[in-house]
Amino acid sequence: MPTLLELQRAMRASIVEGDPAGIVGSLADGIGPDRLDIYRNTIFSGLIRALRLAYPAIEHLVGREFFECAADIFIREHLPRAAYLGQYGGVFSEFLHHFAPAASLPYLADVARLEWAVNGALHAPDVRPLELRELAEIARENQCDVSFQPHPSVGMLRAEYPVDDVWRAVLAGDDQALAALDLASGPVFLLIESTKGDVEVTRLREAEWSFLNALCSGEPLLSAMHFAADLDAASLLAQHFAAGRFTAFAPHADREEAGAAA
Amino acid sequence: MSSVMTGRDSLIPAKAGIGLRFQHHQAVLDVRPDVAWMEVHTENYMGGGTSLHYLDAIRRNVPISLHGVGLSLGSAEGLDPAHLARIKAVAERIEPSLMSEHIAWSVIDGNYLADLLPLPMTEEALDVVCRHVDQMQSFLNRRMLVENPSTYITFRHSTIPEWEFMAAVAARTGCGILCDVNNIYVSCQNHGWDASTYLAGLPPAAIGEIHLAGHAVRELADGRTLRIDDHGSSVVPEVWALYQQALAIFGTVPTLIEWDNNVPPLEKLLEEARLAAGFIAVAERESEHANAA
Repeated sequence: MPTLLELQRAMRASIVEGDPAGIVGSLADGIGPDRLDIYRNTIFSGLIRALRLAYPAIEHLVGREFFECAADIFIREHLPRAAYLGQYGGVFSEFLHHFAPAASLPYLADVARLEWAVNGALHAPDVRPLELRELAEIARENQCDVSFQPHPSVGMLRAEYPVDDVWRAVLAGDDQALAALDLASGPVFLLIESTKGDVEVTRLREAEWSFLNALCSGEPLLSAMHFAADLDAASLLAQHFAAGRFTAFAPHADREEAGAAA
Repeated sequence: MSSVMTGRDSLIPAKAGIGLRFQHHQAVLDVRPDVAWMEVHTENYMGGGTSLHYLDAIRRNVPISLHGVGLSLGSAEGLDPAHLARIKAVAERIEPSLMSEHIAWSVIDGNYLADLLPLPMTEEALDVVCRHVDQMQSFLNRRMLVENPSTYITFRHSTIPEWEFMAAVAARTGCGILCDVNNIYVSCQNHGWDASTYLAGLPPAAIGEIHLAGHAVRELADGRTLRIDDHGSSVVPEVWALYQQALAIFGTVPTLIEWDNNVPPLEKLLEEARLAAGFIAVAERESEHANAA
């Protein structure tokens, strides 16, 4: 008689890897292992649905059948590590990047990264943004050392292809716009954030993006300002505060303290 | 457990409710349907964003029950503390009138198999489930209900009838039972059990909620018929009949209409809930007559 742990491992092997050898001996008389297919179908269709919700543009780009086939392989290799599916599928872009049958669409993985950031913004918890006046607590001589904690809805993406245009055209069903896109137009620098329940994807200039990206990565203000090149960092910073893109600060550029201040 | 808890101590009235699904968020706010309570899947509100805001608004008008699908009470490896913490966070925000989980498992070696998988009905599984129900109730600091499963397979080494397993979990942990009448019908048909025996084997005082739903019928390759608990259609007449039998045994109990696949317009769910409400009213009158006699 198998222990509960052995039985659960055998059921997983049958359901996920399609290997019923370990489970057949435990099933009651007259019950074929094909009945486990019902569980497999429920599990895989539920997980494919979760991926479809997170990656609607990818499904449009590759078609329903291809998407389901790719998702099925992905799921077998990357089962969820949590029983909360809002966080499931973050490495799908990495999977698509190495997925040989999708090699003819080189921008696919970048579109998936954009969709994952959009998904993150949609599901981000509500956190009160930091206000500019709260920085007044910091002594003027320490202001260059301050670092920030980005709002959980904020995502930063640098992509080799104009994936924001691809994403918009695909979701709008605008095949003409999609066909007219110049995929060789160079990299794009994107800010993804949720504003009043909607998600906005904004294209930034490279220096503007690099400055915000450095701040969101926890770089102290002074070193982040180097990325701003000849832009007016002070006014950019004021805009970021007005848009609620930070939730906490740490006075001495210590990332752990930034977490504690949240 | 610090206090004595009976089966009917929840704030959910012994009336008919509906499962709230994303498709109906806006309609529920617009229509304010005349329904006594609603139930949601806890896991659907673990992220932030729009759906949580809808639930914040809806719960001002109607009591909410949180029905968990992912804790995996039957996992041999133990409960995921991160998932318990997520459940607690939703409960603190939503302040549910009732909370429930399933007698099933879904997590093995840290991987979540997104379904309610069947347990062998053994002493070992009973010990595991009871340990986890204790852990869940003490962590969430409240009495929980656990739901009987619907299953498509049974195991050679099972030794305990499923209804006795359910009764033992309630007796040992003090938890209540969410009696899913459709699940009883589906499992009894699939495994040749007697549904009346099943109902009679459950402790009436522990029954805190009833679920009703539709199921599908599928022909297997070996010519046998299997009932699949897909919550994708109306409650069938045989399940309504079994529901009446349950009300006669348990007394009136909060009753939920669940619909998860091919979700119809809100009005269709309300229609099914009105049918359940009618049966509850009949059961109430009959018990008054019995008391008066």
